[in-house]
Amino acid sequence: MVNKQDFKRIDRYVWELPRESRPDMRVPARLFADEELFDAAFGDRTAEQLVNTATLPGIVRYALAMPDFHQGYGFPIGGVAAMDAASGVISPGGVGYDINCGVRLLASHLDREEVAPYLQELTSALYQSCPSGVGGKGRVRVSERELDELTVQGSAWVLKRGLARAEDIAHTEEGGQLPGADPRQVSSRAKERGRPQVGSLGAGNHFLEIDVVEEIYDPDVATAFGLRRGQVVVQIHCGSRGFGHQVCDDYVKSLQGAVRKYGISLVDRELVCAPIDSPEGRAYYGAMACAVNYAFVNRQILAMGVREAFERVLAGKVRNVDLFQVYDVAHNIAKFEEHEVGGKRKRLCVHRKGATRAFGPGRPEVPESYRHVGQPVLVPGSMGTASYVLVGTQTAMEISWGSTCHGAGRVLSRHAAIRQVGGAELRRELEESGIVVRAGSDKGLAEEAPSAYKDVSQVVEVVHGAGLARKVARLRPLAVIKG
Amino acid sequence: MGFEEIPHTADRALRCWGQDLGELFVQAAQGMVWLLIGPVTPLPTVEAQIELSAIDAETLLVSWLSELLYLYERDGTLFTAFELEEISPTHLRARVRGAPIDQLQQQIKAVTFNELTIHPRERGLETTIVFDV
Repeated sequence: MVNKQDFKRIDRYVWELPRESRPDMRVPARLFADEELFDAAFGDRTAEQLVNTATLPGIVRYALAMPDFHQGYGFPIGGVAAMDAASGVISPGGVGYDINCGVRLLASHLDREEVAPYLQELTSALYQSCPSGVGGKGRVRVSERELDELTVQGSAWVLKRGLARAEDIAHTEEGGQLPGADPRQVSSRAKERGRPQVGSLGAGNHFLEIDVVEEIYDPDVATAFGLRRGQVVVQIHCGSRGFGHQVCDDYVKSLQGAVRKYGISLVDRELVCAPIDSPEGRAYYGAMACAVNYAFVNRQILAMGVREAFERVLAGKVRNVDLFQVYDVAHNIAKFEEHEVGGKRKRLCVHRKGATRAFGPGRPEVPESYRHVGQPVLVPGSMGTASYVLVGTQTAMEISWGSTCHGAGRVLSRHAAIRQVGGAELRRELEESGIVVRAGSDKGLAEEAPSAYKDVSQVVEVVHGAGLARKVARLRPLAVIKG
Repeated sequence: MGFEEIPHTADRALRCWGQDLGELFVQAAQGMVWLLIGPVTPLPTVEAQIELSAIDAETLLVSWLSELLYLYERDGTLFTAFELEEISPTHLRARVRGAPIDQLQQQIKAVTFNELTIHPRERGLETTIVFDV
């Protein structure tokens, strides 16, 4: 049992459980939260899962939970853990099944008033251009060989086929290509599941949204990101589809043997892991990197679908139909990064599970055009509520391995959400508030009801207050497309 | 033998129980079908055989449920009736029957190992399974 009383408040938004609180903890556990969110960590198994994470071999300094935390499996969602690259472990349970689930933000040159007359038509066109739903087939067909190529090359593969622009790739985390991808480590089943789904949204909490920039908090940074008040933008939220799910599934199973082989003791089997520097650890990393690249390709191809839909509906009717890419972030990933530990640069394998990289100014990983301000961080809210664009900070580099939240975070089980709000009722409510909705099913819609989530603004206030990222702009939805 | 849903913040979780491993595996599969399509049983029109091996009973359980999800994604056939012809903690052979289903009520991304342990209980064997949805 993890007791709330054992946590110490070490700063306004930082709560720490000392390492000595449980004999198997290797490092302290830290939650970023205000009082209300902190209490919520004990309403489900978040706190316990975070403490379990703190027991993993090679974990450096602390196990962290971002303020949108909630109970997951293995790590909590919102969990961040950095492992020593030389002596630590890598865990598929610290990345999750939807490897490189992430968000892409495209911005138009149009104001809300210009798009408003065509919103219904535009939403329908987006729904057609971006295939969605469980097991839905994607926009492009690829051969087995092409699948291997795209999982190694990532967004560069899409560029070669004329389905991307160089500036899209420059404005993608990792330049849309995580190095070290090794398709030989990916099972034939993962490839079989992934092949038909390239360029598809999927179901669950994945969505496509047309938003308007409602509020600017930091005009200088907003200008650097190309954002202004009243502007129409598009968010794409999806991941690596069946390909990534299968990679995770395969390695959560196969690494059970590695745990025995290396004598690692685990409190939860979902925390299964292998030494980073072992054949098993390298195999997982090589396969995971393939799934990361698959997801970058997936969002890139969907982005071209979005551009096509804008062109089809708006060409000749508005002054400029083009969309440029602000950024693309991953929120389920493990990556090698250098960070300062005890005054020295150290190579770490940073696991972010439901957490976003939030690198501050000056880091070479941040695209050149944004390097003077920090990277954009995209935080989608729950359906029908606000989303935020934030900017990474130096403070995040110092206290969270350059990480921040990834969304609002859930508060209820999806089951309870369905009981409370009917899908048809929710659709009516959204439409009454002027939001255009296209969804595969009312039930799927109900599961994403805003009442199933924390208040994204509260989460963002904690992030802003704790210095994990700074507010730049708030977005309000005009249209929602769901699988 | 039976199954029931238990609360989870973001995903779906089932508690399943049975007299023996065979019953437990059947209940887990039926519970998952209930999550996928609700309390309806389509008339079976397709039959298949599944044979799996794993390092222990928990891994075998995850493999079993994952296999049923995979077969749905691949062929669109959801198996809803299960007969375990052979079962040990490391191996199973099952005859399964089901029907093509157009749309699921619930997407399941994966069957997790989250705190997955098969416990002996008064009513036989029991376990809790968390599904990533």
